[in-house]
Amino acid sequence: MTVALQIDGLFKRFGEQQVLTGFSLQVARGEVVGLLGPNGCGKSTVLNIICQLLQADAGQVQLMGQPMMEQSAYARTLIGYCAQETALYPDLFPQENMHFFARLYGVPAAQRNARVAELMERFNLTPYASTRAGLLSGGWQQRLSLAVALVHRPELLVLDEPTVAVDVEARMDLWSLMESLRDSGATILLTTHHLSEAQRLCNRVALMRGGKVAAEGSVPDLISRVPGQAVVKVQSDDPQAVIQKASDLGWPVRQHAGKLSLLLPQSMSLREVVDALDGSKVRAVSVDPVTLEDAYFELVDLKHELC
Amino acid sequence: MKGMSPYGLFFDQTLAVSQRLLLEQWRQRRGLIFWVVFPAAMMLLFGLVYANNANMRAGLDAAAAGILIGAALFFSCLGGTVSIIAAERERRTLRRLLASPLHPAAYFFGVVLAQLVLASLQVIMLYSIAWFIGARYHGSLFLGGLILLLSVFAYVGMGFFLGARFARRSEEVVVALSAIGVPLLVLGGTFFPLEIMPAAMQAVAQLTPMLHMNQAFKGVAAYNLGFAELRFELVFLFVFCAFSLALGLRSYRHLPIADQKV
Repeated sequence: MTVALQIDGLFKRFGEQQVLTGFSLQVARGEVVGLLGPNGCGKSTVLNIICQLLQADAGQVQLMGQPMMEQSAYARTLIGYCAQETALYPDLFPQENMHFFARLYGVPAAQRNARVAELMERFNLTPYASTRAGLLSGGWQQRLSLAVALVHRPELLVLDEPTVAVDVEARMDLWSLMESLRDSGATILLTTHHLSEAQRLCNRVALMRGGKVAAEGSVPDLISRVPGQAVVKVQSDDPQAVIQKASDLGWPVRQHAGKLSLLLPQSMSLREVVDALDGSKVRAVSVDPVTLEDAYFELVDLKHELC
Repeated sequence: MKGMSPYGLFFDQTLAVSQRLLLEQWRQRRGLIFWVVFPAAMMLLFGLVYANNANMRAGLDAAAAGILIGAALFFSCLGGTVSIIAAERERRTLRRLLASPLHPAAYFFGVVLAQLVLASLQVIMLYSIAWFIGARYHGSLFLGGLILLLSVFAYVGMGFFLGARFARRSEEVVVALSAIGVPLLVLGGTFFPLEIMPAAMQAVAQLTPMLHMNQAFKGVAAYNLGFAELRFELVFLFVFCAFSLALGLRSYRHLPIADQKV
């Protein structure tokens, strides 16, 4: 396994706020790693340090085996950065935006036209070749933004919540694009709030809490750390009765945002669950497989109440 | 990305920045109209007043030079640079530039080059109007060109500083310009001659680059002065340009990412 990115013990403080508290992570070449965590946990700070937009107070970042020195122009050429906001020149056409950044990254003139044409084609931007970037819809702007990040064939693609500002349809389109990038062997580090995005795209997920990685692994691995085979979501007129019943049955109970979830130690049918909860004034109940969302709440979110 | 020497890359980055800025300027027609109308109107209005008064007519050549340096270049080069920085911030392209291998000096020189192209066109337009009104350019074209180059360079450096420090959004460009730029313009002798200012004001004015740009360009354009007579102004401008470059690069490197998200 070739390591593309190695981060060791990053610390970063903004004023009184200690944002990173020894963040470490490794990303292998060809791997897609998702960085998940609540707002303010330091996800974007990590990406900003990798992209040299911020300097860490302590810790080290190695890219392709080389320590990333501050202001190192070479390290910058290895990274393609796409922020959550579409950072484009609105008065330039899509291919002009790509050409501009291709020149900044030193893509040789002889290769520039072919590379831009290839990305225009790959990202289906050709029909918009005579539309200024500022007039494209949010989804198409983000698509272009992603293409711009790829124009110099980076070794590592850093995506900061790439689908946060787009509608559902555009999000699906972007996910398909990112899947094709993953399948073509791209190395990607992305932050996201969409757990389904991470579940669909990432080979590995790192869950952040308090400025460092709280848990990491493949999605199935993280899911396996949830102490249950399935999740029962319950609506009841008497939640305390449900909690008591579950406790009697030995089912771990989780409460998040006022909603009750029961973790089933073994697979059970809906009928068996309903029968087991009989007498606790249940209005609605569902039995679902454990998802990354459950793993996230289990491993990261401190607000849930363990009953 | 291999295939380009560092100097080749630097040169290409400079050209890319400058071409992009000019292309954007060309496509933003409204801004271009302002860029043409404002100095042209200033030249016409001031020129007609000077030409209409027999006792002021002798000052027409100097007035034309003053309008070029103090009004046209001030707004297009200084104001333009502040706007460029504010727009890069607002559109979030600044983060993309800072994450790229773009050399800060290539960005600075790219802006200077774009502003020089615009300034050259303004010089041609302004002096065409001035010529019709009766103003004449008397001095060395080379020396005049050198002073304009230094002036543009200095304005861009100040623009980087003001843009980085005081203009986080495009609405703040006017605030930065009027609060800091215009007082410098007044001290620079654009509106009143240095001689009628109080002594303390004159002393402060000596420290402003606008005064030396004005005096140097007026000296060449209106009074046909040469290198020897203008050596003090030229040395000041050269030193200020070096300072301006350092200030511009520092401002770019340390552009605070004010909206930094955790």
